[in-house]
Amino acid sequence: MTRSLPDQSLGPEWTILELLARGIIDDSEVQMVRDLLTTDTMKWGELLEQALRHKMFPMLAHQIMSASLRFDVPTNIYMHLESALEWNRWQIEVFRRETVRVAQALADRGIPFVVTKGMAFESTLYDSLGTRYMNDIDFMITPRDRDKVMTVMQELGFRPFFDWAKDARREEISSRLNPDHLPKLAREIDQPGIRLIDIDIANSLTWTKSPFDVPVEEALENPVEQPIPGMSGVSIPCFRPIYQFLFTVLHLFREAWLQKFVESGTDVGLMKFGDVIRLIDRNQNKLTDSELLRIMQTHGVTDAVAWVLRHMDETFHTHAVELLALEKHGNEKLLRSQMRSPGYVNAWSESMRGRLQSKSRGSVRPVAPAHRGS
Amino acid sequence: MDDITTQFEECLRRHLRSAKPNPINYDVELVQLGLDSMTAVAVLMDMEKTFGIRFPDDMLVEGTFRTAGRLKEAVQLLRERQAS
Repeated sequence: MTRSLPDQSLGPEWTILELLARGIIDDSEVQMVRDLLTTDTMKWGELLEQALRHKMFPMLAHQIMSASLRFDVPTNIYMHLESALEWNRWQIEVFRRETVRVAQALADRGIPFVVTKGMAFESTLYDSLGTRYMNDIDFMITPRDRDKVMTVMQELGFRPFFDWAKDARREEISSRLNPDHLPKLAREIDQPGIRLIDIDIANSLTWTKSPFDVPVEEALENPVEQPIPGMSGVSIPCFRPIYQFLFTVLHLFREAWLQKFVESGTDVGLMKFGDVIRLIDRNQNKLTDSELLRIMQTHGVTDAVAWVLRHMDETFHTHAVELLALEKHGNEKLLRSQMRSPGYVNAWSESMRGRLQSKSRGSVRPVAPAHRGS
Repeated sequence: MDDITTQFEECLRRHLRSAKPNPINYDVELVQLGLDSMTAVAVLMDMEKTFGIRFPDDMLVEGTFRTAGRLKEAVQLLRERQAS
């Protein structure tokens, strides 16, 4: 996708992160990042804090290392970035091995599944550079296999994560009330620097009581086998590109649109949009085919997808709405809405760009009384 | 069994904005009183603590707390089970 250079009104720190999130595509962007990183007014504290908040620390580190800016960055910061990148690469190695272990166990029992999100994207969208941060490993299964998968995971040594949580009962109740995922699972391991491995297993492309959904059974048909870097002959099943795109976008919509994620401080970040931009960039032919539009219309998810892409275009100067022929979808009222609870929608006035940069997301408050949505 | 109405309503009012100034209508959906997915968890935990009960997994569903009336029935049932 073509895009213009971002305006720098939010400062050099934010501009660097926006450029990295959407992916550097030409020499002018390489030079712009380089110039911004070496500007005299650079606030390193701000850059590092926002990079952490948006899970971009390893990506920022890689950019600085590969641009040979060793002597343009304060020494202690450079050394810390270097360590963080190496540690992220190590964690990805450990996660890869665990992904294969779980995938093999599920496959042995004939359970349909795919690996999603970070582990699926790291090699396909981020070139196996070790720059994509992930804090867990994500799988997708069908709702009917929940019990079988739970048994397999327990056999592999996993326990519900709320066993370790500060407030275990709160986590347990929350998990039972939202059966779009299995309870988050974790296993203690004996690896340098990594004590627990978390696994998140979803059984819906949207969420409990969502007014729309794409059936998981349909999305799991004809998965693609994706090789695991560094493990010869080993692969994991992932969604084919159309469903990879739909899941990624609907997941972003869920975390951005449901107010509970804002209140818990786990809503949308720059890298979520970065994943979507890269998915479109690398699968443009498949995503502009009429099949995607037909699937979106069949399952009533067109407005939700348009919501994400309109915010993305506005924030990152991309042209995804036009590219995917969604100009007639996702009206202004929907664009400025947020769901408080099923059927009850709030309005908010802030731009997505302002929201992403904000460090107090709790301030994304409704500007109009909640009303029952359509 | 003791009447739990006062304690029950105090518990709801601690979490539901719209329940604070008004009498609680036991037939209205709790979402209309301000219940969302976060406060639902808080209300259930507070009920467990206040009445010394534990909602079993099969009661951790939306139907249990759709209205104040349904939730009060569930709390009373669990108290009775515990007493017997």
